[in-house]
Amino acid sequence: MTGAMLMVGSIGLVAALILGIASVTFAVKMDPREKAVLDQLPGANCGACGFAGCAAFAHELTLNPEVEMACPAVNKDALEAISDILGRSLGAGDAMIAFVWCKGSPVDTITRYNYVGPKDCGAAQIIAGGPKGCQYGCLGLGSCVEACLFDAIHMGEDGLPHVIELRCTGCGKCVDACPRGIITLIPKSANFGVRCISQDLPKEMKQYCKVGCIKCRICENACPFEAIEVTQGNAASIDQEKCQKCGLCVSVCPTGVISSKQPPRKVQVIAEKCKGCGICAQVCPVDAISGKPKEPYAVDISKCIGCGMCIEKCPADAIERLIR
Amino acid sequence: MKTFKGGIHPPENKILVKDVAILELPLSKVFFVPTQQHLGAPAKPVVNTGDMVKRGQVLTEPMGFVSAVVHAPTSGKVKEITKRVHPVTGLLAPCIVIEADGKDEWSHGLPLERDPFAMTAKELLNIIQSAGIVGMGGATFPTHVKLSPPKDKVVDTFIINGAECEPYLAADYRLMLEHPERIIGGARVVMKVLGLNSAIMAIEANKPDAIKLMQEKVPPEIKVKPLKVKYPQGAEKHLIDALTDREVPSGGLPMDVGTLVHNAGTVAAIWDACALGVPLIERITSVTGQGINQPKNIKVKIGTPLKDIFEFCGGLNNAAKIIFGGPMMGIAQYYQDVPIMKGTSGILVLTEQETNLNSYQSCIACGRCVEACPMRLIPSILSKFGERGMWEKALDFDLLDCMECGSCTYVCPANRPIVHFVKHLKTLQREASARRKEA
Repeated sequence: MTGAMLMVGSIGLVAALILGIASVTFAVKMDPREKAVLDQLPGANCGACGFAGCAAFAHELTLNPEVEMACPAVNKDALEAISDILGRSLGAGDAMIAFVWCKGSPVDTITRYNYVGPKDCGAAQIIAGGPKGCQYGCLGLGSCVEACLFDAIHMGEDGLPHVIELRCTGCGKCVDACPRGIITLIPKSANFGVRCISQDLPKEMKQYCKVGCIKCRICENACPFEAIEVTQGNAASIDQEKCQKCGLCVSVCPTGVISSKQPPRKVQVIAEKCKGCGICAQVCPVDAISGKPKEPYAVDISKCIGCGMCIEKCPADAIERLIR
Repeated sequence: MKTFKGGIHPPENKILVKDVAILELPLSKVFFVPTQQHLGAPAKPVVNTGDMVKRGQVLTEPMGFVSAVVHAPTSGKVKEITKRVHPVTGLLAPCIVIEADGKDEWSHGLPLERDPFAMTAKELLNIIQSAGIVGMGGATFPTHVKLSPPKDKVVDTFIINGAECEPYLAADYRLMLEHPERIIGGARVVMKVLGLNSAIMAIEANKPDAIKLMQEKVPPEIKVKPLKVKYPQGAEKHLIDALTDREVPSGGLPMDVGTLVHNAGTVAAIWDACALGVPLIERITSVTGQGINQPKNIKVKIGTPLKDIFEFCGGLNNAAKIIFGGPMMGIAQYYQDVPIMKGTSGILVLTEQETNLNSYQSCIACGRCVEACPMRLIPSILSKFGERGMWEKALDFDLLDCMECGSCTYVCPANRPIVHFVKHLKTLQREASARRKEA
């Protein structure tokens, strides 16, 4: 008994000694900042930065001063914290967000056949191009939902994926997961999108989808800023840099395919400043401003689309945004 | 009796059309001829809208060696060249629409009876190529490519595939019974092209009268060999394994082990082209299943719309699923206006009782699919990778050796669509390698 105890005890001591020496001799020197940076990163290992996970990115970011902040998911506070840790200012890129370019819910589109296979859009796509009547539209089996590491995308009651803006980090996992390329990243500041990428003629499209872009060019003609364009054969597309977020396109679209993330921003007239020149009433594209000359003008909120043309033209700076 | 390892025994259900003699379908009013009815490079139309065409006239020009021409099935006017649903891909594909004039006149110089054995191998090969013959068992690989092995590959064994192991179908069986001389003649033409002195005709043992008839009719250089009744006995690689004990290497072709396999229907089409001068414009197909009122074997012109065939066969009855080909490897159709193609070996109309539209469960690791797999793969693992889209891992488990015969899906007690998973993985692999090539 005693012999056995001594035997095991001595083996333990010898092993501890070896381990102790090894831990000192073979210690990997790690920059303490690296751990601190890693703690600030989201830790989802999504790979959107282009490195093999958050730890690899933290390592590069700490040791290589040329590496810029490539993590799309990092928030403002964490960015500041990392800048402090590393002692160099890291600028955030344009914040991006996933956007679903299809509005054709199963109610509005026809289904060509009854699909019974695996619940995966890629698997459905190989069976005669998927059950959906439209070969451009969302198959609605939720591969993007499965792919999202931030729980930022979910299937809505309309059978289409919806992006939760607050959670979406713009990592692009859902973009890769969609076999039809319906999801892309757009600037977080963008407010409007034409939710259709069909290249079919309106005549063909009417056979399978009630809400797709029919390329009628009404939005193109209505846009006061030339920010929306219907190029040959494609659905309308919005130039997000030119877009002033007036929302006029949303109100004129006959199929309602243009949608906005936030309600359009309305304007109001500051009565004290208004000199009653009437320029605003003239430039207003929707006739939302009315009034008598030399008296303060008024904005009809129900008509106003928040385009801001009146703000630009008002000589007295008497118009301001109602909702920011 | 000769066979291979693995495989399954699905109910044959051939009784529906086994004893029904081949009937010729009346001429349809409109024909839809897809320009791509083969594997390989596409073919582009050489006729224009409004042109008058005659039966057997060339409609397309192949864009490469591994490609095949398409001929007009009847005489009439080219109504339009448009995009229509393709029965194999299910997507819109170029299609030549011909409005029949009802006269069914042959193109100039056709048909042309001649002695194929007076011609050289090169001439015969040219005739086969210009007749647009493709593998008629369903794979539609251009026949002239198979018949032109590269110089370093010596083909010493030629197998005529009359196994017809797919359940329900009996088109090849009826062809063997009613036109044995065309099959034997075509086989002799192939032997001449390849310079061979012998051939093997393989027939599954569930067709005793076809075996007996062939044994009576064949010349001594062709041997008729019965095969054990098992699916997929008619698969090229398994036929070679069973008859010659040779194994086609992974990723290889039968010609790598000196063998060549042709379907009985293809061989008959070769005879028609070489001896009668008739290009491939019609085929024999089985219209069967519980969902059709009068199951029949029909001789049908390529491009005939499905609707006309259903009308000829007494219409549909509680149909739940329409399949081109057999129930194991065929392609389901969602559109009743698709045309018959060169590779349509059967038209199967299944009722709800015959189909399985239930959802699937998790793999219970029972191993039945492993036992059934004739390619000796591990389908259960492939299916799990398929669920997660892990094609790179699946490559380590020989994903690309799967021939999608469906044996694993048939035996799976958890109802898992294993072949569907495999096809999905193969698509992901193909897309990824295409992306890599681009980059």
